[in-house]
Amino acid sequence: MVSDTQKLIISPSPHLKAKDTVGSAMRDVFIALLPVVAVAIYFYHVYAAFLIGVCLVTAVLTELLFRKLSGKKPTLHDWSALLTGLFVALLFTATTPWWKAAIATFIAVGIAKELMGGLGWNRFNPALFGRVAMILLAPIFAFVDDWFAPLATYMGSVDVATQATPLAMLNAGMEMPPLGQLFAAFPGGALSEVSPLALLIGAAYLFYRKHITWHIPAAMIVTVAVLTLIAGENPLYHLFTGGMMIGAFFMATDWVTSPFTDRGKLLFGACIGILVVIFRVGLSPTEGVAFSILIMNAFVPLIDKAMKRPSFSEPRKQTQAS
Amino acid sequence: MEVKTFQGGAHIPHFKSYTEDKPITRLSPPKEVIVPLLQHMGAPCEPLVKEGDKVEIGQKIGDSEETFSAPVHASISGTVKEVGKRTVPTGGEDDCIVIEADDGPQEFEMKQIRDPQNIDLEEYRKCVREGGLTGMGGAALPTHVQVKYNEQVDTLLLNGAECEPFLTCDHRIMVEKAEELVRGAELMMNSIGAKRTLFGIEVNKPDAIEAVNELIKDRDDMEVVSLAVKYPQGFKSHLIKAATGRDVPRGARSAELGCIVRNVGTTVASYEACVYGKPLIERVVTVSGPKVTKPGNYIVRIGSPISHILKECGVEELENHKVVIGGPMTGLAQPHLEVPVVKSSTGVIVLPPDMTREWMEYTDCVRCDKCVEHCPMMLYPNQISIYAEAGLHEKAEEWDLMDCIECGICSYVCPAARPIVHWVQRAKPEIQKLQRSRK
Ligand code: SF4
Ligand code: SF4
Repeated sequence: MVSDTQKLIISPSPHLKAKDTVGSAMRDVFIALLPVVAVAIYFYHVYAAFLIGVCLVTAVLTELLFRKLSGKKPTLHDWSALLTGLFVALLFTATTPWWKAAIATFIAVGIAKELMGGLGWNRFNPALFGRVAMILLAPIFAFVDDWFAPLATYMGSVDVATQATPLAMLNAGMEMPPLGQLFAAFPGGALSEVSPLALLIGAAYLFYRKHITWHIPAAMIVTVAVLTLIAGENPLYHLFTGGMMIGAFFMATDWVTSPFTDRGKLLFGACIGILVVIFRVGLSPTEGVAFSILIMNAFVPLIDKAMKRPSFSEPRKQTQAS
Repeated sequence: MEVKTFQGGAHIPHFKSYTEDKPITRLSPPKEVIVPLLQHMGAPCEPLVKEGDKVEIGQKIGDSEETFSAPVHASISGTVKEVGKRTVPTGGEDDCIVIEADDGPQEFEMKQIRDPQNIDLEEYRKCVREGGLTGMGGAALPTHVQVKYNEQVDTLLLNGAECEPFLTCDHRIMVEKAEELVRGAELMMNSIGAKRTLFGIEVNKPDAIEAVNELIKDRDDMEVVSLAVKYPQGFKSHLIKAATGRDVPRGARSAELGCIVRNVGTTVASYEACVYGKPLIERVVTVSGPKVTKPGNYIVRIGSPISHILKECGVEELENHKVVIGGPMTGLAQPHLEVPVVKSSTGVIVLPPDMTREWMEYTDCVRCDKCVEHCPMMLYPNQISIYAEAGLHEKAEEWDLMDCIECGICSYVCPAARPIVHWVQRAKPEIQKLQRSRK
């Protein structure tokens, strides 16, 4: 509001504002993903670039469409649609048919985010929701594959893309590649799985910018490490394969779908860790991290309520008694 | 050196370098003062003068029979031009006495009328009441209300934290008037029967800590408590927690807390009221902001319009600026410049457009938890804001909205720029209604 006489601005206190905005924070997460994007493109060349491009474009179009339909202003400037698009792309393997990734992105941005009320109201991590929806819907889409077959684009051969993923090798009890290589950069699996190191570099940037705290990743990693150790396996292989790294640092730490408090975050991370180990050791290993995080997303309101800390002015028990 | 503090809170850039080294100077008296009849929390004063009356500097011009009230005085000599509604710094219009200066004496004559050694509780209370003393740090409670003997109150806690950005008036008072401050503290401590005095000072004011320490180094009933530089360290509840380690449950009285908190400016002014009979007609105000040509700590008459103050300090261009009375975290943005500074006005801060922003451009909460991490009251500002915005007052109350001290940290850190404090202020009276209806 501008006062009419001297054109002074009037608005409620506080009058100062920290610089971070939702847009700048989301952009930072985008930037934090660039190292792993670079490694993915290094291994899969145009396949990776094409897949990412398709997802980004779909994400933007989906957001525009849903905002138009609901009569709300587009919120592209908050970067969240682009970020979701990039996340979805990174959850697929390089040779995934492009239309599958596009549908997943549509589900992620359109259904998991916009239909839930927009950024902030979504209960599930949109990218994971889109990815997992495609797994669950796979039977339906099996025949759709044939329709789209003529649309498939041939972009030259990529031999690395057909090789077994390290996680599958681990489960099949195959000879594993050296740990150092697995950690630094090793092709196989989804785009985001190529390099734990690149993800860690990105995560370090997010810590530095204070967008995430250590609680969720630490709880998740420690839980997985301890439980796999008890199960008699080498925890490092579990940490460096599959969706563990992107899950711990980028997905489970998603602002909207994680608990409020540090204690809540620790519990949340630990529960995800337990579920991951159950999925990996007991059930099928594919996308165990994605399922675990989504399951725990559903419990966030419960965790928040149960973990509510007392207000500063809440009388302490002892003083009441005296 | 041990540095004490509390949990939560935030480091906010403090912008104090504009004025922290500027000695306190007098600002020339304005041609006209606007003295509101209500400058404290409690009952308003009745005017004792009418239009056309001649008044002298220091003369009582408004008073009330109520206990919870403090009289107001003429801050210049002159003629009463009007008794009527004017814009007041707390927002809206209220009854004020407008005085036009004449060529009578415009300075209060300081001569000692009492010996500080011989002032008992009764007399002390009378002096601060007659002097119109109220809290000068922010919460403007009439000072005399808290002047009473209570066996359980063993500590007098002087608030020199001054945690609000930009403000340096208390800082300069501690440096330049350390002696009056220590004497004033002694007077207060002795009259209410407290056993010790603690000076809580943030460590970003080493010269203030040194000045006070120098004077009290041989006394074992006074001590400086160094406090970490963190907002809102100067809020009463958090100051008590940090300095004494005691919990501050909701609604607790001073007796239960065992301590009384006094602002340093109030302490010096109380001393002057007792010893020199000087009523609260002027105060130190920090005038600051990046575009203020002559920022500083000025002694300003109560009732001076901010137009006068800003002109004296070389402020010309104000388009799309924000002029705040008080600190930038809790102060109020003023609609125009004919608003007076009052007893509790700590600063006049001019914020250029690039430093502040309008609040309309907020979005939904994205649950980033930054507000939860920093809330000094351990609340959930995100939940509170969602429920208060939607008018779901019962829900907001469940999430402890009523405990909010309106420090503003949540809105400050919020990347979605949500005006949380605004909603809290709007919801509080509604929840009070609910609570009353339940009884
Ligand atoms: S909720 Fe109240 S006490 Fe907590 S940070 Fe916000 S304004 Fe301060
Ligand atoms: S800081 Fe703002 S966006 Fe973040 S949780 Fe609090 S209210 Fe929501």
